[in-house]
Parts: sequence; structure tokens; C-alpha cells
Amino acid sequence: MARAVSTRRKVAVSIIAWAIGLIIFFPILWTFLTSFKTEGTAIAVPPKFLFFDWTLENYFTVQERSDYFRHFSNSIISAVGSTIVGLIIAVPAAWAMAFSPTKRTKDVLMWMLSTKMLPAVGVLVPIYLLFRDFRLLDTHIGLIIVLTMINLPIIVWMLFTYFKEIPNDILEAARMDGAGLREEILYVLTPMAVPGIASTLLLNIILAWNEAFWTLNLTTTAAAPLTAFIASYSSPEGLFWAKLSAASTLAIAPILIMGWFSQKQLVRGLTFGAVK
Amino acid sequence: MSVDGTVAAPAATPARPIKNELLAQRVRSARIFLVPMIVALLIVAGWPLLRSIYFSFTDASLTNLYDHEWVGFANYLNWRTLESGRTIFRGTLVDPGWWNAVWNTVRFAVISVSLEAVFGMIVALVLNAEFRGRGIVRAAILIPWAIPTIVSARMWGWMLNDQFGILNDLFLRLGLISEKIAWTANAETAMTAVLIVDIWKTTPFMALLILAGLQMIPKDIYEAADIDGVHPVKQFFRITLPLVRPALMVAIIFRILDAMRIFDLIYVLTPNSSATETMSIVSRENLIEFDNFAYGSAQSTLLFLIIAAMTILYIWLGRVRLDGGDR
Repeated sequence: MARAVSTRRKVAVSIIAWAIGLIIFFPILWTFLTSFKTEGTAIAVPPKFLFFDWTLENYFTVQERSDYFRHFSNSIISAVGSTIVGLIIAVPAAWAMAFSPTKRTKDVLMWMLSTKMLPAVGVLVPIYLLFRDFRLLDTHIGLIIVLTMINLPIIVWMLFTYFKEIPNDILEAARMDGAGLREEILYVLTPMAVPGIASTLLLNIILAWNEAFWTLNLTTTAAAPLTAFIASYSSPEGLFWAKLSAASTLAIAPILIMGWFSQKQLVRGLTFGAVK
Repeated sequence: MSVDGTVAAPAATPARPIKNELLAQRVRSARIFLVPMIVALLIVAGWPLLRSIYFSFTDASLTNLYDHEWVGFANYLNWRTLESGRTIFRGTLVDPGWWNAVWNTVRFAVISVSLEAVFGMIVALVLNAEFRGRGIVRAAILIPWAIPTIVSARMWGWMLNDQFGILNDLFLRLGLISEKIAWTANAETAMTAVLIVDIWKTTPFMALLILAGLQMIPKDIYEAADIDGVHPVKQFFRITLPLVRPALMVAIIFRILDAMRIFDLIYVLTPNSSATETMSIVSRENLIEFDNFAYGSAQSTLLFLIIAAMTILYIWLGRVRLDGGDR
């Protein structure tokens, strides 16, 4: 009896869960489908779901028109580069905040949060001028710098919360055994914090990959990543939807594949360590 | 974990000087380690902010940034008395467009964040239960959050299109609406459209945060509650909610900060609609498009102050502890 009830409940939960998943996933599915339509089929009324002549034409047009692969490699360079630089700065900083805290630690955290209080447009002009004067506009280095800066507060914050969970005694024991500071961080702290660091790394790659405001304003052609590629398909009305869909699918595919493989890490990473 | 605690740890007297020296070295290193981050923060959060605030007290324009005069609070509020005796007020603080934007932003932030929290909780509870294909559904739900806003805004703009959009078609068939609606163009529905897209995009993020919290709750608590015959609804409010609260509070604060600054979604989805104009949108217009650079600076300074005040209020009222959970 109890078993029947629980089976019925399980089925109900499955149905609800799949329904929610489908509703949330639908816009992406629809974009994906549209990318294989001709522009004419794309605006058919009523809309066509699966039964139309599938074509790959849009993908070829998109690659020809705006060189997907160049934007793709720019995205990879800036996302990976900024993540590496970010971690190099953030790991020692988070170590200092977690294991050698002062009264100021809280103020630093609040200050980091304040970077999320100012609208990006408000600081665009000062940063743009700085970039122009240092000849960083439209360069990979410039893009890596700005992406690192923007995401640094969140990386430090995440690492700080992870590091705080690691008992100080273990580090102290290592120290007693004669480990220097470098060994302590590289060989004791880092291996223990690998899950946390991995989540931080993933999250940062996604954030850097999706950053649009700064990449659009600070790059033009040479270093423009995929967000700029998408923005170039900005024809406001009609006739262009299938190509826009193809471009969108191409732009999000890499992140979807990465997210798929690292879903569990991400869920952990997203908690900012607030959950132990 | 504090510095004092380490010193007070039991140690043989002769070893003490060495230990103290080591400790001093550690503290020194800690300071050095913080330097790159502080420098980065100064560049990204200190200097531009000060510069923005400075410009808000001048008459600088984008074409002529360096040749400007100090005008005090004129961009915020200034007045002039005419010969007829009438006083004319000018400045952001008496600008109806600005207050409309403030109202839109606050309305948007409150509605979107509360709905996202509620939906996020529901989705998380469902995903926490066991069912077939949980991994696939979870991955599918994570996706909207992981794609750039600029892409999702475009996709939705097209789905919400009044003539060819799939949503109008679906809603018509389901009988939810009686005629096709120009969701993004209508003043009455523009905000709804923005809310739909934002909730779609961010509920997954909330749900995953809450889900991670739910997974940390030991199962035996629920078993014990079941044995005691505690109603599931009561279990939710007495066990689940208090235990996921720390995760939820942090998630909400990050969401509020983002919602208050919302820009790209509205910029792409409903450009030039005063029904959805937010503080970021208005200040960008003035900063970049209308050649009112100083005026726009004043608006972004105000935006910063408003968000800072809200954050402090939230942290204080919600007793959120920034340096680690609040248990």
C-alpha cells in the first residue's frame, strides 16, 4: 500500500519536473529548431515545429559573414586568460582573508560587494579613457584585464568562503613540519580546496564568456569575442530570424557543452560557500 | 582562527620567539597577498567611482571632458528666480524622467526578485525529489542562466513578436488571450515582458542555489519529523526554510544588486519604452547619447547611493553575515 502511494508520488514528481524542465528549456529548443529553417519558414504563421525542410544554410552564411571561429577563439582566450590571472591574484588574497583575518576583512568584503552597486555605464567613460591612454582598446590583454577586474570580487569572495571551511589546524600542522608559506598554499591548501577552486574556475569562465557590456564597448574587431558576434546580428525586425538563431546557437553551444559536463561542480560553486 | 588565538595556543616557552617570528612573517605575507587585489579593486571600483562622482559636480560633456568647470550641486538640483517672482527648479532631483526610472527600477527589482525566490524554491524542491532523468532536467534548467543576456533577450524578443512570435500563437490556441499582443511595444505589457524574460533567466540560478542548500540538510531530520507526524507544510516552514535561509539570503542580495542595475535585457528587449526605462538606461542615455555627461554622472552617482542604501538596509534587517553563513 505504502509502496503504491510512493510510486504514484514518484510519477507525479517526474511529470512535474519534466514539465518545468521543458518549459524552461523551450526557448532554447525553439532557437535551435529555427536555426535550421529558411527565413521564410521561420516566420510562417502558424509556426512550424518539426516538419519543415531542414537546412544548414544559415550556419554557412553566418560563418561566411562574420567569421565565427575568430570570435570563438577570442572568447576562449579572454575567458581562460582572465580566469587564470584572476585565480593567481585571488588565491593568495583569499588565503590572507581566511587565515589571517583582521578587523578590516569585513570592510574589504563590503567593498568588494560595492563593485556591484555602480552601474557599468557610470564607470564606462573613466575606464575607456584609461584603456585608450594605455593603448589597450581592442586587444586581448585589455580584454583579459577588464574581465579579470570585473570578476575578481566574486572569485575572491567564493574562494574566501571555501577556504574558511578548511580547518586552520591542518595548515598549522604543515607549518610545524617546516612547510614554508609557498608549500603551505601550493601543496596543503590548494589540493584540499580543489573542488572549491574548480567551481570558482567554471563560474568565472561562464561569467567571462557571457560578459557583453565591456566586451562590446572596449573591442571592435581584433579582439571581439562571441558576444560582439551576436550583437552584430541586430537587425531589429523580421527576415533575419533564422540567421540570428543560428548565430545564437553557435554562440551558446560551447558554454552548454561545458555546463553539461560540469553541472554538479557548478551547483556547488554557485552557493558561494554559504551552505556548508 | 584569529591571530590572537594562534598566539594563545599552548606552546613550550622556548619555542615562543620562533613562533612569534613565524607568525609575524605570516601576517606580513598576508598583507602582501592582499595588495594585488586591493590595487585591482581601486582601479575597478575606487577610481572610476570617484571620477564619476567628481564629474557629477562639473559641467563636463563627452566631447569636451577635460575642459570643464565646477558647478557644485547644479546637476542634482538648482533653481533660478525669474523676474516675475516664479522660481524654476532644475536638476535630476526634480526630473520626472529620473523618478519614473527610479520607480520602474524599484518595481522591477522587487517583483522580479520575489517571484524568482518563490519559483526558485518550488523548482528546487521538485528537483530535490528523486525522479527519472534528474541529471538531464537539472542541466536543462541551468541553461538559461548560462547563456548571455544579449542572446536570450534577442531570442525572447522574437518569441514575443506580435506577428510571428510563437508565444502569441501558443496563448491564442490555449485561449489565454483573445488577440495577438505586441508584448514589447505596448506600454502596458512591456514591463510584463521584461519580467517574464528576467524570471525565466534567473529562476534557474535561484533554484540551483537553493537546491545546493537543500541537499545539505540531513535526511534524518525529515524522518524524525515524519515519525512525529509533522505535516509536510509545517516541515517546510519549520525545517527546510530556516536551514536554507543562509543560502537564500546571499542569493537574494546578489540578485537585488543585479536587478537594480538592470540594463542589457531592457536595452535589447524594449528600447525607448518609458514604461521600462530604468536608472541604468536613463543614465546611459544622458552619459553617452544626449551629451549630458555631467548630468548622467549625477544620475549614476545617485543610483550608486540608492543601491548602497538598500544593500545596507537589507544586510541590517536580514541580519546577513557577509563573512560566512549566519548560523
